[in-house]
Amino acid sequence: MGARFDYAQAEEIRDVFARHGVRYLFLGKSGAILLGFPDTTQDADVFVERTMANGLALVAALRELGFTLTDAEADEIARGKDFVQLKNGPFDLDLVFAPDGIETFADAWRRRVEVEGLPDIELVRADQINQAYERVVKKDVRYRFVIDMASLEA
Amino acid sequence: MAVSILGGVVANRQGCETRPMAQDELHDWDAEFEAAARRPLRTRMRYAFVRTYKPVLDDATYRSFDSLAEYRAWCEANLPSWLGYGRAV
Repeated sequence: MGARFDYAQAEEIRDVFARHGVRYLFLGKSGAILLGFPDTTQDADVFVERTMANGLALVAALRELGFTLTDAEADEIARGKDFVQLKNGPFDLDLVFAPDGIETFADAWRRRVEVEGLPDIELVRADQINQAYERVVKKDVRYRFVIDMASLEA
Repeated sequence: MAVSILGGVVANRQGCETRPMAQDELHDWDAEFEAAARRPLRTRMRYAFVRTYKPVLDDATYRSFDSLAEYRAWCEANLPSWLGYGRAV
């Protein structure tokens, strides 16, 4: 079990991922916390673009951060297995390559916001509230949502 | 950027409880959100990320799944129910 995730580690992710050219977004509860959601969580979740180039960059970045990956694990990450939980590094990190309810990484990337250089999702547009509500009630997701109030029409 | 919390429901991970959120509860939650949003990110993160040992879940250094549905099924089959990773409905 890794150490508690903190601001310095978020900065490390930002800087190391940027150096390796990794395309990613914080999402889920950790993403909501970056936006100001007053709650607690245990680990960070990142949505990673699923391309071989991005996967290989991600593996290199994770190893630089101190994650110990076997060749088989590195291969799974490079290929973009849908959901990977890492507890073999300086902090726990969940890699999500195919989150529910998000069509494509490009779609999520367009809706991203940056919080001190940390790319973040998931903001939910007002017209997606019902869908988000249903997902919370059904526990299809294990976090609540942050709604982009700017998308509300007067 | 203006943001707010999805209100109207309380989905409790531990007890699998879902119920309508009372108006005063929603108001308190919004106030908490606003207060948190005013704090610097470094401070928010210091108090938002906690580490607590979770049996089974924390007992492997690496896990991977072919889909989130497979992950949820694994949680339901393997994790103690009190961890709250099961479905409510």
